[in-house]
Amino acid sequence: MGDSVVAGSDAPGGIPLCSCCGEPAVISRPERQHHLCKTHLIEDVEARVAATIGKEGQIRPGDRIAVGLSGGKDSTALLVILSRLLHRWQGVDLVAITVDEGIAGYRADTLRAAESLTRQLGVEHRIVSFCNIFENDLDTLLKGRETQACTICGVLRKKALADAARAAGATVIATGHNLDDEAQSVLMNALRGDIPRLLRNTGAGRSDLFLPRVKPLAAISEKEIAVYLFVQGLFTLLPECPYTRYALRSEVRALLAKLEWQHPGTMLHLMESKRKLEQMCAGTPVMEKLHRCRECGDPCSGVICQVCRLRHSVLK
Amino acid sequence: MRVILPDQGIRVVEDDPGTVAALLQELGINPLEVMVARNGALIPEQAALCGTDEIRIIRIAHGG
Repeated sequence: MGDSVVAGSDAPGGIPLCSCCGEPAVISRPERQHHLCKTHLIEDVEARVAATIGKEGQIRPGDRIAVGLSGGKDSTALLVILSRLLHRWQGVDLVAITVDEGIAGYRADTLRAAESLTRQLGVEHRIVSFCNIFENDLDTLLKGRETQACTICGVLRKKALADAARAAGATVIATGHNLDDEAQSVLMNALRGDIPRLLRNTGAGRSDLFLPRVKPLAAISEKEIAVYLFVQGLFTLLPECPYTRYALRSEVRALLAKLEWQHPGTMLHLMESKRKLEQMCAGTPVMEKLHRCRECGDPCSGVICQVCRLRHSVLK
Repeated sequence: MRVILPDQGIRVVEDDPGTVAALLQELGINPLEVMVARNGALIPEQAALCGTDEIRIIRIAHGG
């Protein structure tokens, strides 16, 4: 970043100036007390993603990264940024994996967006579907269970992505979870009293039990991601998942967005609280130990995994 | 001022709202959940508005 410009200066048209170069800003970040133009926003977002990857050791030389690509804005930004950063790591390559859950009126548009993006970036793309893996699409599986949509879909989607990543020879899975998603999860787990899940870090370390799941966008807000794509002509208006309205996450999202607007930095503070709790609880019984599922052998924290539990109910 | 809403509806705002943030507040929209463009170019919440502007509010879709 360049020299600072006096905060509060305005360009013609009443637009705040970039705190780095004095060009008209496209985004303001009250929690950091600065404004950024298109060029410096792109530079800043990519630098912060690279810093997250470096700080947490998310990518190692020789890795094959399976990028969970829904075609929505977050995974689109993730694939674009990783493609641009790829030259930093020796022998690392990308494979994009899209899971088609089978959601009428929603997934077809995002699938097309995912296909178009991978063609444009020259990244290998694999598509797997619930129909092929679980013998039914999500819409069928959810009949009469719509209120459990996100829980059921989340478990099955995670399984589909992990299996497809393994089949593609990946050594690590990267997903597009952003700061808002992560802060929402912290608050939701606290509201549910689920401390082990609150403290779970799926990207920590490497194990024979599972492919690590890393979140390179975890320090970038949802709005920053949307603006990052928009200013490069990469933002596409896509439909919202029809099951979103059933989720506790929708309420938590609205609540946190309101708090963040009124008290900038709220989401970062929540993530900081999680990190401090992780440090305090390291090595204590509250941290879950992983076992192999008695039925399928996949890693899980209980006796049988969540997918096998669903096999006995939803999938039977 | 002509405002294109996220659902593509159009609202004409007669009074000068001052800034993007004030306009969004008047419409009951959280600025963190949308992007705002004036003549196709994104502008931040602190940007001042004037009566001749055409403003487009773009909702940031969630989930994936």
